[in-house]
Order: sequence, then C-alpha cells, then structure tokens
Amino acid sequence: MQKIEAVIQPSKLDAVKDALVEVGVEGMTITEARGHGRQKGHTEFYRGREYSVDLLPKVKLELVVADEMVEKAIQAITGAARTGTIGDGKIFVSKIDEAIRIRNDERGEIAL
Amino acid sequence: MQASEPTASVLRERYQRRMLEIRGAFEAGASGAATIAARASALDDLVRALWRQAVEQDARLKAGVALVAMGGYGRRELFPYSDMDLLFLLDGRLPEKQVKDAIRRLNQEMWDAGIRVSPATRKLAECERFDEENAEFAISLLDHRLITGDAALYTRLARQSVPKLLQRDHKAMMTRLLELTEARHAKYGGTLFHLEPNIKDCLGGLRDVHVCAWMTTLRSAGEQAGRNGGATESPEEGNDFGKAVEFLWLVRCFLHYRHERDDNTLDWQAQDAAAARAIGVDGGEPRGNDAAYWMRYYFRCARSVERRVRQRIGESAAVKAPSMLSGLRRERRAEEHHGFRVERGMAVLDAVDRSGQDAAADPDVVLDVFRAMAWTGCVLGRETEERLTRALPLLSAQLEEGPALWLRLQAILTGPHAGNALRTMHALGVLELLVPEFHGIDALVIRDAYHRYTVDEHTFVLIDTLHAMERPQKGPMAVWAERFGGVLRELPHAGLLYLAALMHDTGKGHSTDGHAVASRRMTENVLARLELDSYESGLVLGLIEGHLEMSSALRRDIFDIETVRGFAAKVQTPEALKMLTLFTYADINAVHPDALTPWKAENLWQLYIATANYLDRSVDDERVGAHEESELLHRVAAMLPGRKTEVAAFLEGLPERYVLTRSPEQVRRHFEMATRMDEDPVQLDFHYAPGVSELTLVTRDRAQLFANIAGALAAWGMNIVTADAFSNRQGMVVDSFRFTDSFRTLEMNVSEHANFVKSVHDVMTGQVSMEKLLSGRRRGRRKAPLVTVATRVEFDDEASSHSTLVEVIAQDTTGLLRALSLTVASFGCNIEVALVDTEGETAIDVFYLTRNGAKLEKGLEAELKEALVEAVNENASQS
Repeated sequence: MQKIEAVIQPSKLDAVKDALVEVGVEGMTITEARGHGRQKGHTEFYRGREYSVDLLPKVKLELVVADEMVEKAIQAITGAARTGTIGDGKIFVSKIDEAIRIRNDERGEIAL
Repeated sequence: MQASEPTASVLRERYQRRMLEIRGAFEAGASGAATIAARASALDDLVRALWRQAVEQDARLKAGVALVAMGGYGRRELFPYSDMDLLFLLDGRLPEKQVKDAIRRLNQEMWDAGIRVSPATRKLAECERFDEENAEFAISLLDHRLITGDAALYTRLARQSVPKLLQRDHKAMMTRLLELTEARHAKYGGTLFHLEPNIKDCLGGLRDVHVCAWMTTLRSAGEQAGRNGGATESPEEGNDFGKAVEFLWLVRCFLHYRHERDDNTLDWQAQDAAAARAIGVDGGEPRGNDAAYWMRYYFRCARSVERRVRQRIGESAAVKAPSMLSGLRRERRAEEHHGFRVERGMAVLDAVDRSGQDAAADPDVVLDVFRAMAWTGCVLGRETEERLTRALPLLSAQLEEGPALWLRLQAILTGPHAGNALRTMHALGVLELLVPEFHGIDALVIRDAYHRYTVDEHTFVLIDTLHAMERPQKGPMAVWAERFGGVLRELPHAGLLYLAALMHDTGKGHSTDGHAVASRRMTENVLARLELDSYESGLVLGLIEGHLEMSSALRRDIFDIETVRGFAAKVQTPEALKMLTLFTYADINAVHPDALTPWKAENLWQLYIATANYLDRSVDDERVGAHEESELLHRVAAMLPGRKTEVAAFLEGLPERYVLTRSPEQVRRHFEMATRMDEDPVQLDFHYAPGVSELTLVTRDRAQLFANIAGALAAWGMNIVTADAFSNRQGMVVDSFRFTDSFRTLEMNVSEHANFVKSVHDVMTGQVSMEKLLSGRRRGRRKAPLVTVATRVEFDDEASSHSTLVEVIAQDTTGLLRALSLTVASFGCNIEVALVDTEGETAIDVFYLTRNGAKLEKGLEAELKEALVEAVNENASQS
C-alpha cells in the first residue's frame, strides 16, 4: 500500500476527483491548503490598498491505494491537473505499513 | 447473600421479560406515554423488590432511608434506554457507612439487569442547599417521587426541604437553568431546523419540554414568595403543545428501540424508517410514508415546543439577572408604539388600535411589531402570539400590497435581528401571508452531504450572517466579516439584497434541479405585488437566478483573467457584484457552521477585488453598439411610442455601464433632456433626498465641463460621494453626481433647492464664473481625519483600447474632484469616462483620459502624476 499526496490547483479538483473515480479509486481525503513552490504569490490593488497573497490557495488530496493502483492514480491526477504552466502542483508518494477500518477492524488492503 | 442471589436473578429476568413485553406493546401500537410510564413502573417494581431484600438482610435499613426517583424517572417518563436518577435519601441519624454496602449491592443488581443507574446519596439537609457547581441535581430534584423506604422521611423532603430550597434559591436556580439552556441551544446553532436533529437536546426537543416545566415551577416558587399567579395558557396552545410532546415521546421510544441505546439522533435512515411506519402520524394519509412530509410534521411539533420554551425564557427574565440573555435588549420602561408596547424585551399588543379595531388585525400595527422585533431583538408575548394567530384571516383581508408593503417589509429585513423576526413571522404564518411563495420551503428537508439546516432555516441563517457582518466579531472569521462588512456598508440598496436572500431558495419547494430559475420565477410575482421598479427588480432577479455563479467561479482559477472576465460578464455592474459577493459569503456560512473557512473567504475576496477592478477597467471599451437591440432600448421605447430610432441614437456609444446601472425611467428622462437641448443647452435633473441627493447633467461635451460642475457642487459645500460621467457617439454627456449636503443647506431651506439648481446652471452656461461662485464658498471647520489616506496615482495603458486609465486614491476632501479634473483639463486631456467613489475617508476616482483623441504619452503621464499629487495636497490644505 502506498499513500499519494497531491497538491493541486483548486480549480482542478473536480476533474481530478472524476479521473480518480474512473480508475477505481474509491476514497480520498481533501484538505484546503495554501502554499507555493516556484510559483510566487499574487498581488492585487483594490481601492488604493495592496492585497497580497503570498501563499496561493491549493487543495491537498490524500489517498492510500494498493501498490498496483499507484501508477494509475498518479496518471489520473497528472492527466487531470496538468495545464503545463507553473503552479500545477506536486505529487508525493510514500509507503504505508497498515490500514485499519475502524468499524470492523479489517486490516490491510481490504480496509482501503 | 447465597440465598438472595437466585431471587435477584429472578427479579432481573422478570424485569427483562417485562421490557420485552413493553417493546412488543410499542411495536403493536402503544403510545409513547404508555411505553415510558410502563418502563418507569417496571423499574419501580424492581427497585422495591431489591430494596425489600436489602431490608430483610439488614433490619436497620427499615427507617432513615428513602429511595426517591428524580428527573425523568421521577416524572414517570423513562425511555427504553434512558438512565435513571435514583436518590438514596438519608435522614442523618443513620450513619452513611451503615447503608453504603446495601446501596452498592442494589446498584450492582441494577447494572447487571442492564439498567444505567445514576445514583446519588444525600442527607436531608443537603437537599436544601443549592450548589451552583451541581445545579443539575437541584433541578432534577424538582421531579421527585417516593419509590420505597422511609415514607416519613420522604414527606419531610417533599414538604419541607424542597419548598425551602425553592423559596431561598429559585432565582439562582433559574439563572443557572437559563445559562444551561442557552449553552445547549448555542451548541445546536440556536435552531431546531437541523436535517438530522437530536430530538432530546436540539432546540424544540424534549429537554426544552422539561425546561418549560421547571421554569413554571421556579416562577411559581417566586410568585408564592411575592406576587400574583403564573400566566395562563389557551386551550389551543395547550393542545398543540401536548400533541407535540406525545409525538416526541413516541419518536424517542422509536429511536431507542431502533438504535438499542440512548441515541436520540433522528438520522436520515431513522427518518425513512419512521416515515415508513408512520410513527406519530396518521398512516392512512397519502404521504404517510414520505420522509420529507414526516419531517415537516416533526418540525411543526418541535416548533410548538420551541415557541413555548422561548416564551418561558422571556417570562423568566423577571426572575433572573437581566444581563444573562444575549441579544435581548430590555428597556427599563415600556416603549410605547402605535398599537403595541415593548416592555422588558417583550412586545405586547394593545387591545385596539387608534380606529378602535383589534390591533392584531391591523396590518400597520402587526408589521410595526415585527419591525420592532427586527430592530430591538424583543420577542412576542404569549398572548400577543395567540392573538396574531387568531387574527390571521382578518389580517389577510386587510393587507394591502404595493410600495407601502415593500417599505414595511424592507424595514423588517434590514433590522439587525431580522432573522429572528422573520422566524417568528414564519412560525405564526404572517410571513406566508406577505409572501405565500415561501410556504413551499416551510421546514423542507433536502438531503445532501453539506447542508445542516432545512431550506427555510438556511434562509434565515443567511440573513443572520449578513447582519452579523455589521457588528465586530470574534474568532478566525472576524477579519473577513469586517472586510466584507465594509462592502455591505457601501451598498446603496441593502434592502434588495435581503429580499433576494429571503427568496433565493423558494424554488426548491418546486424543483431541486435548477432551483435558481424556479426561485426567480416565483420572485417575479412577489416583485410585481410590491411594485418595485425595473432597476430594483432587475438587481433582485439577477441575484437570485445567478446566486450560484460566484461559487462556480470559485471552482475555477480565480487568478486567471479569463475567469474574471467571464464572471464580470455575468454580474455586469459593481452593485450586482457587491450584492453577489456578500450573498455568496453568507450563503456558504448558512450551509453549515464550519462551511465558511478563512481559505474560502480569502478566495472570495480575491475574486471580488479582481472583478471589481476589471469592471472599472473595462467601462471605456464596452459601449452600446449602433444597432443594438437591448431589452432596455425596448423598454424605453415602449414609454416613447414612435421614437425608438432616436432613443437608439441617444444610447449609441454610451458605455454599457450606463445602460446597466440606469432604469428605463431614468434613461427616458435623460433622453428627453437631450431632446430639449435646443431650448436650453444645459439640462439639469435634481433629486433631493435627506441622505444622498443626485444631480444629473445632460449637455454637449466641452473643456472643463466635469471640473466646473464638480466646482459648483463644492462651492455649495456638497460632498460628492459617487459620480460617473459618460458620453455618447454624438458628443452628448450624461454626468451624474450623488452627494451629501455638508452644511444641511438644502435640508434646512427647501427654498434653496431652486437657487442651488440655478446656480449650477449659471456656472455651466457661463453666466456666472466659477471663480466668483467659489469666492463666496462657505468653509466649515475642517475636522482632523480619522484615517490618513496616502495619495496614490496609477496609470494603466492596457485597460482600454483607446484611453489611458488614471486611478487616484486620496484623502476625501471637499473640492477634490474639481481640483483633479481641473488639473486633467490643464494638460489638455479629455475625460472620456469618470467613475468616482468614496469608501469612508478614501476617495477613489477613476478617469479614462485621451489627449488629441489618443492615449497619453509616457512622458506626459509622469508630469500629470506629479501635478495630480500636488493638486490633492493643495486642495487638502485649503479645505
């Protein structure tokens, strides 16, 4: 099992969710996030005041999938979230030791 | 011990068999009252039998100990899986350690039988003292009942200790009870309209039924010590409340059996099951198995309980400290109104109005009562509610529609406590009398993963959220509420926003798909009855139909100019943008208490400011075309038969902003002014209002025009709040100025209105020089500004295809606009479009300039910038 964490543009969330569901990913956690990588902030002047956004709005998806699903999920995310411009986001993948379904104590991939 | 165990075991089995019989009877149709009384009775038998055994083992327990039921058990209202409050009352002569083992054994037996016991051991004297840290004990002691044991001891509790406790501490108990009730209500968002309510603890739940009874007991304790008897209730009210309580008893029994534990959450699955079994409703009704229909019945019952508990809370204000109830302003003396008075935070109708009619049937009086509720936070007295309910048919017959009704409705909607006033109007049927379209969403449950409240309550929470922006707030959203609150204060027609808020989801009563369109359709009827003009109607209908547009735009890249451009094309005007932004903020917040996060608010703000800037920067390029067949053109032409071509020619070349921000009636007036130019080349249209007056000039474009009219207004001490200046293809200008009257010259002297208009006219025609007028200018003592605004001048060559945009941000001072426009004119620049606005002490002036018909050269921009800054400073030093 591996955990995929993807930080993407909020505007791409619906497309990414649909793409993941299409490849068979059934569950995910979504968090409102802020941040930036090479993409810098945004400044807008309104009525003489400067409104700077140093950390741009992003959403973070977290999903844990079976090893054989990892590549499919990554392809789904990149395919749906990519615009080719700076700020499209990042994906991080890490190993997961165990998954437990609280309701019935099922363990391992069956609990995903 | 050996000998008693089989007996205890038998007792347990007997009790469990009895529980199965009670459940069987419930499944077969026994009432909630019968079910809970049967369980209390079964427990009585068990407790008595177990105590008999204990006494047999230890004869010293025969006297000096009484087993007393308290709380729900004391009331004989024991739900299938509720715990039981059992008091072991000692007379003080019997040492506690002597009875400790017997009490422990009895409790153990009960636990073994699957009963959750909440035991308490107290000496008689301890029951006379009120402990604020454990108020729940004293409150549950209000419902006491002897189960077994020393009857004489219990009689002393019932006849001496409890009355003594009440006599001495009823005020403190009432205060604590109100605090606990208020905290519980706050935990559930102060509303009963939850999609998955907890039927015990939510507002209008069973706990509130108990609170009503306790408050009555505590009040009568105070009244016995002092004054008259308690308030009486009408048979209708008692009947409704009684039915509601019986229904809630039944539903709670159903939930306990369904969940097999003390879980009182009426979740969606339970709602489906309750509806399918027609719990508490007539199963023969055609919609008996419809969960939405069944929930409406639940909400009706809960509302009946809610009304009773709110009234009890209001009535109890006399017994408690006055600062405890938040949101209720309590006048020391009665506040008299026509047909009613507000006394101690409660509105009470007079018997008759001025004409001798029943005040409850007089629409003016009744709507004024709700206006008072909306503005002061007062509540309705019980008798007033009953009279209003009874008088509804008469009220309906006497209600007149049209602008007068809109004024009254607007006065309610814009009050800081409008949400609560509307809730009461809704509960009494008065809101549906004014707006029958609202009935379709009465207690309407639409299930989705996000919404917490029913559709009508969502609407009221939205209105609450908008009003809350006007007050300082705490917590992580405080900074955003303040920022968006600033936008709310700038709205010229806030009443329209609240009307749109009230109506935005009415379409859900008919269609969940595309409900915005259905809501718009229903609102059209309301607006026609209220006779709003076409501009106001357009704003309301546009907001309702497009109320999801900003939420949709937030799901796109808000930093992409195409997103902003697309969104701006939908909202079209700054006022509509402000209204939609505020609406979206409040709409998100009204979905769920946690739905609006700083993250979402920041995105909303970014989209708002980007779109506001875009709208200001696109004015010059987006103009009415030569052959444009707009709806406005048709409407104006309809008022001027046979002159459509002339109207089209007048509109050609004017910015779209002009068309979008003027009503057909205003355009007709401006057109007619333009046609009278042969008689008088300077046409002025003046509308005085106590707050902000408006002057519109229609004339031929020429040098220093804008500077001269701004100067004439400044000479009269008028402070320009907003202004816009547009010109059409034929070189005709339409300049509108909205201004406040700094010296109240126009307010105090009606005769000066004509002089004012003539003076401006004479300056514009050149009959009086601007310098002469300014020389007689009245100067007030300048107040030190509360906020210092740094001057800022920015040029933008990209905003327009043929003009240069100049934005000047400066301290708002009288004469500023003239100083700026004179400076611009002195550089040989022509003002193609001007948009003037103020925000507090900040002036925000945007000019689209050309020089010799083209954009400004870079070198000129630098010089002009320096001159404009100097003009701002010089004007500030003179004003």
